[in-house]
Amino acid sequence: MEVFNNFLNGTITLFSDPVGILIFFGGVVGGMLFGAIPGVSMLTLAAILLPFTAHLSPEHGIMLFSVIYCTGVYGGAITAILFNIPGAPENAPTAFDGYPMTQKGQAGKAVGAAVMCSAIGGVVSCIIMMIATAPIADWAISAFGPPEIFALVFFGLAVASSVGAKTFWKGWLSILIGLMVAVVGLDPVGGIERYDFEMPYMLAGIHFIPTILGFFAVSEIFVQAEKKAIGSYKAPKMGVEFPTLKELLAHKVAVVRSIFIGFFCGILPGIGATLAAFMGYNEAVRWSKTPEEFGKGKLEGVISSETANNAATGAAMIPLLALGLPGGALTAMMVGVFQMHDMEPGPLVFMNSADLVWVVFAAMFFANVSIIFVGYLETKTIINLLRIPFQFLAPMILLLATVGAYAVRGLTIDVVVMFLAGIIGFFLRRSGYSVAGIVLGLILGKIGEQTFAQAMQMLHFEWSGYFDRPIALGLLIAGFLTLGGSIYGSFFKKPKSPSADPAS
Amino acid sequence: MGNLRTGHLVEGAIWLSLCLFLYAYSFKFDQNIEIYKFGATAWPRTIILLMAIAAIGQLFQHWKYGDDSASNALQAANVDDAESAAHEAHHESLRWYLSTFALLVIPFAYMRVPDWIAGWLEADGTTLHILRMVCAVILIGLFLTQIRRNMVGSILTLPLFFAVLLEDVGFYSLAPVFIVGVMFLFGETRRKPMMAIMALIYGLLMLLFVKILFVGLPIGNIRPFYDFGSWVVTVLQ
Repeated sequence: MEVFNNFLNGTITLFSDPVGILIFFGGVVGGMLFGAIPGVSMLTLAAILLPFTAHLSPEHGIMLFSVIYCTGVYGGAITAILFNIPGAPENAPTAFDGYPMTQKGQAGKAVGAAVMCSAIGGVVSCIIMMIATAPIADWAISAFGPPEIFALVFFGLAVASSVGAKTFWKGWLSILIGLMVAVVGLDPVGGIERYDFEMPYMLAGIHFIPTILGFFAVSEIFVQAEKKAIGSYKAPKMGVEFPTLKELLAHKVAVVRSIFIGFFCGILPGIGATLAAFMGYNEAVRWSKTPEEFGKGKLEGVISSETANNAATGAAMIPLLALGLPGGALTAMMVGVFQMHDMEPGPLVFMNSADLVWVVFAAMFFANVSIIFVGYLETKTIINLLRIPFQFLAPMILLLATVGAYAVRGLTIDVVVMFLAGIIGFFLRRSGYSVAGIVLGLILGKIGEQTFAQAMQMLHFEWSGYFDRPIALGLLIAGFLTLGGSIYGSFFKKPKSPSADPAS
Repeated sequence: MGNLRTGHLVEGAIWLSLCLFLYAYSFKFDQNIEIYKFGATAWPRTIILLMAIAAIGQLFQHWKYGDDSASNALQAANVDDAESAAHEAHHESLRWYLSTFALLVIPFAYMRVPDWIAGWLEADGTTLHILRMVCAVILIGLFLTQIRRNMVGSILTLPLFFAVLLEDVGFYSLAPVFIVGVMFLFGETRRKPMMAIMALIYGLLMLLFVKILFVGLPIGNIRPFYDFGSWVVTVLQ
């Protein structure tokens, strides 16, 4: 009942504020649009908007990002279905059957199924998130000290490195670059200058906003430039035909199964929605009476994948809000929004800013609901907007990123840093490294070093102290097992190419 | 050599050199902290050690499996299309990399060369501004001659050049040129749509950030760009 009352209060606060309503609908449409436009993603939009959230209230800033997260995950399905270009890794399994459906002239039906199932998965996930997050945060206050947080950071980074890039080693190197960038500036214990190269600018560390803008927004433009050079950029074309309710009801078991899979995968820091989509898809294949039809345009493939990845969005907010740890690139940017308002996400947010949390929860719930309406009503409009030639979109994105990077501190050097990060990101991406891993390392690096130092001081510099803390020990063991498994896999498992049989 | 290619060796060498450099630099801040016995270097040195291990691990994996090394479907899904685009565009040769890095030197040349010459001439502020503009014109000319030879390298260089010119020329004077430049490098050659889109983007940015949000953008510090930037701000605000 208390949850319902809080949700009601959050809803009233959200919809009684005209600015909040405007930001909410801006986020819904923006997330969907950027998720759908080939060449950019919801992360590009989030990176561009990040600096401007300083001008918004914390409620509006976090709410905007959470809404973009929900609708952007759905938006990525459109390009996966239409062009076999997943908007994000979590939409990759959607392409396995979605694109063959497009080739069979059933693109509209696949998009319609993605709309319905994304909304269902997201709504159910939000409801569980609302019920579960506060008790987890309450428990975390007493059970989570610096050793546990450090262990969770380590576990999250270990998991993220194992799946985030082309190979485990590239994933791990990506995260280590992020950790190294986070080292620049003053050390968190003694305030000693590190890697400042005697430049005053470096003393405050490399600001995360120009870095995020560079790695996501700018590097994406450069990658599209290369595609343009080889002529592989395609403008979209399709009609819209949605599946019937009967067709969707026929797949209710797949939907329920994917919700469970999505939610439990989403809680894991580092991989959430990507693992959810793959597991949702794989389980659909495993339980099917006709597994041989998957990969050839089966509606159940799209349903399973899209339900699971949206079910992970609500779950991904739990580690962020209950423990203060982001699980992916977008939730890492949300940490940035909190920091810009001198706040730290974590269990204390529920005590100090309960209103903020419930407005965000309400916004996520309604963002998922709105996927149905906006998805049904606006898909055709969005598809028409997708025909904007990229040469007209690129200067707009680059200039928005420029203004964003400059506006943070009023320094042109931040703009230089942003474009340098974009160039580095471009070269790293074309070599199979993960820019999401770099950003996760950058954000978690500061938290990791600080909590490690606090933990070691707390344990009187005795490593054996971890044996008296079962949660921390368990997480460390899980992290080492993940790393060990990945190292074993990298040397002794037969490699898979991107075009590997999706159902395998 | 197994499946190792020269590219893999170069990649490994870059990582290991970076580790060596970062480790050597860490001695500059190798100080004790009274309340923390690991000091300021333990954390970065651990990261460096892990980087070196990962670089060697990657070399070993390349030696065993070559480029086709994704060991699970999740990793395979994360293979960025940037990699295949680079491969299809034949932008993996040493010549392409050298030409791109030569282009990327241009913005850095603008950041350093005028100051060096001004220092050598013991020039005053006005002369430095003139030197900067002369240098900018020469470097822009050099950049323009390279566009046809390396289009992608030019797209990488243009935003960086734009960023280093911002302080002197200002956002208001530079943005229209930048918009047209990006459109041209992305293959647009029709003049009317280019001008219309440039006016639209510039107008929208000015309206949103200068008129409505009052964001202070760089106005430049060299005349006549400074005068133009100030005039735009005065008119809009």
